[in-house]
Amino acid sequence: MAKVVLASALSRWLPEAGGKPSADIVVDVPGSRLDQVLDGVFARFPNLRGYVLDEHGTVRHHVAIFVDGTAIADKRRPAQALGERAEVYVMQALSGG
Amino acid sequence: MGSTLLVSTRKGLFVLARDGVAWRVASSAFLGDNVALALADPRDGAWYAVLDLGHFGNKLQRSDDGGRTWAECAVPAYAADDHVTTGDGKPPRAAALKLIWALEAGGADEPGRLWAGTVPGGLFRSDDRGASWELVRSLWDRPERSLWFGGGKDEPGIHSICVDPRDARRLRLAISSGGVWCTDDGGASWRQSAEGMFAAYMPEDRKFDPNIQDVHRLVQCRAAPETFWAQHHNGVFRSEGGGAAWREVPDVQPSVFGFAVAVHPRDPATAWFVPAIKDERRIPVDGKVVVARTRDAGASFEVLRAGLPQQHAYDLVLRHALAIDGSGERLAFGSTTGGFWTSEDQGDRWRMLDARLPPVHAVTFA
Repeated sequence: MAKVVLASALSRWLPEAGGKPSADIVVDVPGSRLDQVLDGVFARFPNLRGYVLDEHGTVRHHVAIFVDGTAIADKRRPAQALGERAEVYVMQALSGG
Repeated sequence: MGSTLLVSTRKGLFVLARDGVAWRVASSAFLGDNVALALADPRDGAWYAVLDLGHFGNKLQRSDDGGRTWAECAVPAYAADDHVTTGDGKPPRAAALKLIWALEAGGADEPGRLWAGTVPGGLFRSDDRGASWELVRSLWDRPERSLWFGGGKDEPGIHSICVDPRDARRLRLAISSGGVWCTDDGGASWRQSAEGMFAAYMPEDRKFDPNIQDVHRLVQCRAAPETFWAQHHNGVFRSEGGGAAWREVPDVQPSVFGFAVAVHPRDPATAWFVPAIKDERRIPVDGKVVVARTRDAGASFEVLRAGLPQQHAYDLVLRHALAIDGSGERLAFGSTTGGFWTSEDQGDRWRMLDARLPPVHAVTFA
């Protein structure tokens, strides 16, 4: 089981977020690998996949995923093992403009 | 006459409505988000907006109630083994959607059909109002695609899609930089038709290669669909041959460089341009915003400036940011510095919108 936090910049695009455009979303999702946990989140928020991953499954260039406080090492294949009660933060990387 | 304008900007979609002879901002959507372009579908009244979100990729949204509510559609996607190979020496790479750079409605007899042109150069078709998209492989698989360049973007892009009003199976596309492509059978087969265009900046032996022509914008006359106008990187070209057999129009004043072009919907000899100095200096000539108009198929041009800023104006007008309505009387354009002007009389006089808009990407009448 992992705790997944979706930053407000993402949650505002999710119809299932129920009109709370400026709040983070926190969900508990089963899984022992990052890809399993992400799939679980995408099952709950179907349009989220295209915001986090491109059409080839790579984490988008300007999206950051942190696991227990450390940025994931492989954005092409986000499938690393997760510990019990891992905390996964999905957020926008900083950019200008 | 068109009485609603959709203005796509760097920080939102703005809906303009007429207030007497002036226009005003009536509503907005996606405030703060980068809206690349919008389409008002004349068949069912739907509005579509392409969002180019810096962090989260391209998204397509549709409104069926005049912009009051919006719902997300699907976007085009490339397969794992699709690759982009360009003719300008960049290494091949996996194809991924960078930008929906053109979005057009199919024919009146094709309900639900949309066409999307993309960077990195794929044309996509939807038959369900954007719920799903399919890459048009008959064009994507053409060997000439490996000759195309990026023009302004790192990768080639389809920015203009003209659907023939007589027969919606006839499409004409313009690609920056990949010339003009034609199909007469709904996309089953394609031919390159940029012959007659030339790229002044290329080595002599490649200058006339149709597959590297950097067309900035392609438009078709609705009442005379054999006539097309193209604003090209180094000039203006015109076709009376259905998008083939192009002839240069050399005397555009004050400059032949620019991005946008509009053609009168009933008069194929009348067209408008918004020139800039040149490629390396993309600002108006002498700091004066002007519109060039021809009424004689390009033999001569008038320079229209009434109501437009005539000192220290550095507005650039992008390829989708000049629009004409169905009557041919009303025009509107917006600039990269947020200037916005409308005309009720084919450009004789212009009125500035009382607003400071974000940088304008695209303008269309709804």
